[in-house]
Amino acid sequence: MDRLEISDLIVAFDPHDGRRLPVRRAEVVEQLRAAGDARAARIVAGLPAGPDGVLEPAAVDRLLIGVHTELQRLSEELRIGRRLVHLLGPLLTAIRTTGVRGPYRLVDVGCGLGYLIRWLAATGALGPDVELVGVDLDAALVGEADRLARAEGLSCRFVHGDAFALPEAATVYVSTGVLHHFSEPALADFFRAQGASPALAFCHYDIAATGLAPVGAWVFHRARMRHPLGRHDGVASARRAHSDEALLRAAAAAGMRALLYEPRRAANPFCTTLRPVLAVRPPLEAPLRAALGRASRRLLGDEHFTPAAA
Amino acid sequence: MTPALPLALLGLTDAAFSGFRAYAGRDARIRKGRANVRAALRGLAVGAVLLLVPALAAVLWLAAAADRDRAYDTLAAGGRGFLLPLTCYAVAVALSLAAYFLLPFRAGTLAMVIGLGPLTLLRPLAVAAGCLAALLNGGGRPSLLVAGLAGAAVLCVEPAVHRRWYREVR
Repeated sequence: MDRLEISDLIVAFDPHDGRRLPVRRAEVVEQLRAAGDARAARIVAGLPAGPDGVLEPAAVDRLLIGVHTELQRLSEELRIGRRLVHLLGPLLTAIRTTGVRGPYRLVDVGCGLGYLIRWLAATGALGPDVELVGVDLDAALVGEADRLARAEGLSCRFVHGDAFALPEAATVYVSTGVLHHFSEPALADFFRAQGASPALAFCHYDIAATGLAPVGAWVFHRARMRHPLGRHDGVASARRAHSDEALLRAAAAAGMRALLYEPRRAANPFCTTLRPVLAVRPPLEAPLRAALGRASRRLLGDEHFTPAAA
Repeated sequence: MTPALPLALLGLTDAAFSGFRAYAGRDARIRKGRANVRAALRGLAVGAVLLLVPALAAVLWLAAAADRDRAYDTLAAGGRGFLLPLTCYAVAVALSLAAYFLLPFRAGTLAMVIGLGPLTLLRPLAVAAGCLAALLNGGGRPSLLVAGLAGAAVLCVEPAVHRRWYREVR
């Protein structure tokens, strides 16, 4: 059975200009049925559509903002911000020590409601020399992220569009919970685009692909999320998560030094629900390891993965 | 000792947490400490009102009983039975919360993954176990009725607060 997420199917954007495209409800329902996911098909069949059968954009936007707001609760409970700072702090320290002058620009790709960027802005955890930018293709989510940031007077900004077509280059690209939306070939393209940019590093967190992940996702989404779409997609995400080996293989396409922090062999799966794949320009690896100190033993490259496992 | 006081304390504490849960996931702001407290107080208020129902049922049953001492002993036995599984549940929640707030973030994640998340789902089962224990501990049908009303009251707080104040995303 194909593992599809409803939220990937009910919105569509023109890849060239980011314009929103109409989505026909019946086509999505049929796609989900063909994938053997009758429950997801029922959820989509219950979404409002106009007389032409096109899903109502405003209703879909409201739904996705609601689901992302609930999803943020999981990020808050699992202290995703603090988990990222644990690695991004040393990474930025490493960048500073190599003589690269600030300000540095952290770009969150597929930021959704921009929780990470807003949390970093609210806590100042990375220092005043780090500019915080969130980017997403979904105009409604970016608009809401911007509204929330302004409501709290946070020093960060949000951009609707392509994260790799910003007028100003990123120093570090980050994301949370985005990678499983890509197939493995698309993932390699995603990393390649970052390798081709002037960015010095990227650090993308996604669900740790363990046997426990779908069970844990079911428990948490059942306990914490109200809308059936959120519950469905939460479990589907965990099932779609890429293995450590697949992430390293794809990240190698960036032409940078690809690493995994806290992969399965270096972490307790009960303590690490999300783990990052990162890549740094080669001169940055040693200062990053120095800045991480003892924690650098959790940072593994492809030499730690046997060819058989890959 | 009468189990009424610890039961009331547990019920009101649970109501405050229910208020928090009713609000959680409806507001994407970063700073929401005061809103969390407000939600907990709303849960507490709704819980206090709803818990009057089982309290009133117990009082009415006592008032109507021919032998009030015996009726009181029966209810007290049921209350002690009701308290036992709920106390175990509350201790598990308290330990998970302490681990979550006091330990480093990896251990905090562990407390969330094996403690707080599953415990939320197990809450109705803990209430059901309490009702069964009230019956089996010598509380009889009257205790089962009061325990059932109390269980329904605490389980209703979260949906009630959610519908009243937090139906819409903020």
